[in-house]
Amino acid sequence: MEKTAEEKSGAYKRRSASQWAVAWRRFKRNKAGVAGLVVIAAVFFVGVFGGFFAPYPSRPDNRAYEPFYLGDVRKPPSWKYPFGTSAIGTDILSEVIHGTKYSLYVGVVVTLITMLVAIVVGSIAGFYGGWIDNVLMRITEVFLVFPSMLFILVFVRIFTITVGDPFWTIPVIGLSIPAGLTIVTFVLAIFNWASDARMVRGEFLRVREFEFIEAEKALGANNMRIIFRHILPNILSSIIVVASLTIAYAILVEAAVSFLGFGDANTVTWGQILQENYADMRNVWWAEIFPGLAVLITVFGFNLLGDGLSDALNPRLRD
Amino acid sequence: MLRSLVWIVGIIGLFAGVIVIAVGLYASVMGVIIPVLFDGGVLGGWLSMATFYLSAGLGILVIGVIFGYFGAKAQGTSLGNEVRAFLGGSTFRYIVRRLLYMIPVALGVSIISFMTMYAAGDPINIIRLGKGTFTPEALAALRAYYGLDKPIPIQYLNWLANLLQFNLGKSLRGGQPVNLIVGNWLWETAKLQLVSIGVALAISIPVGINSARKQYSKQDVVITSFSLFGVSMPTFWLGLILIIIFSFQLGWLPSEGAYGTTFLWGGNAILDQIAHLIMPVAVLVYVSLAQNIRLIRANMLEVLRSDYILAARASGLSERKIIYKYALRNAISPVITFLGISLGTIIAGAPMTEYVFNWPGLGRRFVEATTNLDFPVVMAITMIITVMALIANLIVDLVYVYVDPRIRLR
Repeated sequence: MEKTAEEKSGAYKRRSASQWAVAWRRFKRNKAGVAGLVVIAAVFFVGVFGGFFAPYPSRPDNRAYEPFYLGDVRKPPSWKYPFGTSAIGTDILSEVIHGTKYSLYVGVVVTLITMLVAIVVGSIAGFYGGWIDNVLMRITEVFLVFPSMLFILVFVRIFTITVGDPFWTIPVIGLSIPAGLTIVTFVLAIFNWASDARMVRGEFLRVREFEFIEAEKALGANNMRIIFRHILPNILSSIIVVASLTIAYAILVEAAVSFLGFGDANTVTWGQILQENYADMRNVWWAEIFPGLAVLITVFGFNLLGDGLSDALNPRLRD
Repeated sequence: MLRSLVWIVGIIGLFAGVIVIAVGLYASVMGVIIPVLFDGGVLGGWLSMATFYLSAGLGILVIGVIFGYFGAKAQGTSLGNEVRAFLGGSTFRYIVRRLLYMIPVALGVSIISFMTMYAAGDPINIIRLGKGTFTPEALAALRAYYGLDKPIPIQYLNWLANLLQFNLGKSLRGGQPVNLIVGNWLWETAKLQLVSIGVALAISIPVGINSARKQYSKQDVVITSFSLFGVSMPTFWLGLILIIIFSFQLGWLPSEGAYGTTFLWGGNAILDQIAHLIMPVAVLVYVSLAQNIRLIRANMLEVLRSDYILAARASGLSERKIIYKYALRNAISPVITFLGISLGTIIAGAPMTEYVFNWPGLGRRFVEATTNLDFPVVMAITMIITVMALIANLIVDLVYVYVDPRIRLR
C-alpha cells in the first residue's frame, strides 16, 4: 500500500515536471519561436548592459551632445555614427541603445499590472459567476468600448501636467524611476486589462466544469485552494502567451504616445527620438528609420515568442 | 445574395428613416417648447434643424420602403407582414434593449472623461500656464463666457443639456462653435476609414482562405510572416517610411493633407483626392490586413476540418462552392466580431495615421485639441467616437446574427 502511494506521488511529480519539459521540447522545434526568443534575449542584453558599450552617454549628461560640439549635426549614417546624428546633434545609435531599457520597462510593468488586474477580475467573475460576474463583465465591457487610444492621450496629457520632479526615487532601494514614463505606463495598463480579464474569465468557466474540480470539491477543498492550486495552474499557459503579446502591445503604444508628443520629455524613449526629429524629417530621415526599426524588431520578437509559446503550450490549437 | 442585399438595405433604410424622423420630431418639439418655457431661445436653429432631419428621414424612409418592398417580394412575403413580425420578434426587443443599455455606457464615458479633464484645474489657467497678463476682470469675463465660473457638477449638467440639443460647445481657442467645424472632420475621417476597411476586407478574405487551404506551403509561410510583421509594425512608422520614400525621395505622392490647392495628377479634383488617399489608406489597410488574414486563416483552418465540409466534398460539390458558400460563412463570423470590437480602436488608431499624413480628420484634431488642452473639442470628439463605436457594435451584432443564425439574440 505504502509503495503504491509513493509511486502515485512519484508519477504525479514526474508528470507535472514533464509537462513543461514537453512544452520546451515542442518549443525548440519551432524555428520562429526560437528566433523570437533569441531576439528578445538580445534586446534584454542591450537594455541591461547597453550603458557600458554605447558610444555616448544618455541625454541629461552633457557629453551626449558631443557630436553637436564637433559640428556633426544632421550627419547621415557613417562609420563614425552608424545610425547618423539627430537634428539636435546627438548620436542616434547611442540614443536607441539607451532607449531600449525604457521600452522594456514600459512593456514589463504594463504587463505585470495588466495581468494582475485581469487575473483578479477574471477569476472572481469566472469562479463565482452570478451577479458578481454580471457586474464585473459590464465594467469590463465599458473599458472595451472605450476608444482607448483617445483616453490614453487625454489621461497622459492631464497627469503629466501635474508631475513635479522628472524622477521619482523609490524609498527603500533608492532606485530612481522616470516619473512621466511611469505615468504613461500606468495609464496604458488601466486601458489594457479588459480584454485579458475576459480571456481569464473564459478559461475559468472552461476549467471550472472539469470533473477533477468537482472531485476536489467533494473532498472538501475550499475555494481558495481550488482557485490557486487547481484552476490557475491549468490556465497558466494561456496567461503566459497573452503576457508576451501584451509586452509587444505596450511597447508599440508607448512609442505611438511619445511620437505624438505626449510622452515624458525627460526620458529619451524610441518614440521620443522619432518625435524630436519629426519636424525636420525631410533632412534627417535616418533619425526616423532606426528608432522605428528598433520598435519593429523588439515587438516582432515578442510576437514570434508569443506565437511559439502558444503552439508549444496549447498543442490542441495546432492541427 | 443580391436578393438578401436588397432586403438588408430596405431594413436599414426603414430603421434609419424612423430614427432620423424621430430626431426631427424631437427637434421640432424642442423648437416649440423652448421659446415658451424660456422666453427667446434659439427658435430658428431648432426649426431649421427639424426641417432638415424630417426631410432627410422621409427620404431615407422612402428608399427603405422601396427596397424593403422588393426585398420582401423576392423573399416571398409582403413588407407589411415582415414589419409586423419584426416588431413582435426578438430582434426588435434586442435592439431596444441594447439602445437602452448604450445610454448608461455613453453617460459613464462622458462623466469619466469630463471629470478627469475638469478636475485637473481651471482650463483657462492651465492654458495660460503663467503666460499672458490678464486683469482679474478679463479672466472673470472669460470664465463666465465659457461657463467655467460654476461648480464642476453644474458645468457637467450644462454640457449634457447642450449635448442633448446637439450643441457641442465652443472651442477654448478662439471660441468657435465646435458644431460648425466637426462635420467636415467627421467626413474626412469616415472617407479614410470606409475606403480602407473596404479594401482590407476585399484583399484579406481571398488571401486568408488561400493561406488556410495550403497550410504550411511556401505561399502560406510568406503570408503568415507578412501579417505577423504587420501586427508588429508601428502604424505611424510605416507612414513615415512611405512618406520618406514616395514623397521625399521619389516625389510621386503628396505627403500631407486630404486635398491640395494646386491639383496634382492632371489638375482634376477627384484624382487629386485619390492621390492624397493612397498612402494613408495603404497604411491602414496593411495594419488591418495583417489582423484580418490571421483571423480568417485560423478560423478557416478549423472550419475546413469539420465534418460538414467532408460531407460536402463527398457529395461532389465544386471546391469553389464548398469554400465560398459553406466554409466562409462559418469562418467569417469571428472576423465580424473582431471588426465590431475594434471599430472604436480603428477610429482611435487613426490619430497616428492622420497625424503623420496631416489628415484633416477627427483623429488629428483630437491630438491637437488634447495637446492644446482644448477641453470642449476633446469632449465633443470623445462623445462622437464613443457613440459611433456603440452604434457600430450594435450593427455588427445584428450582422453577426444574420451571418450565423445559430446565434440567438438573448
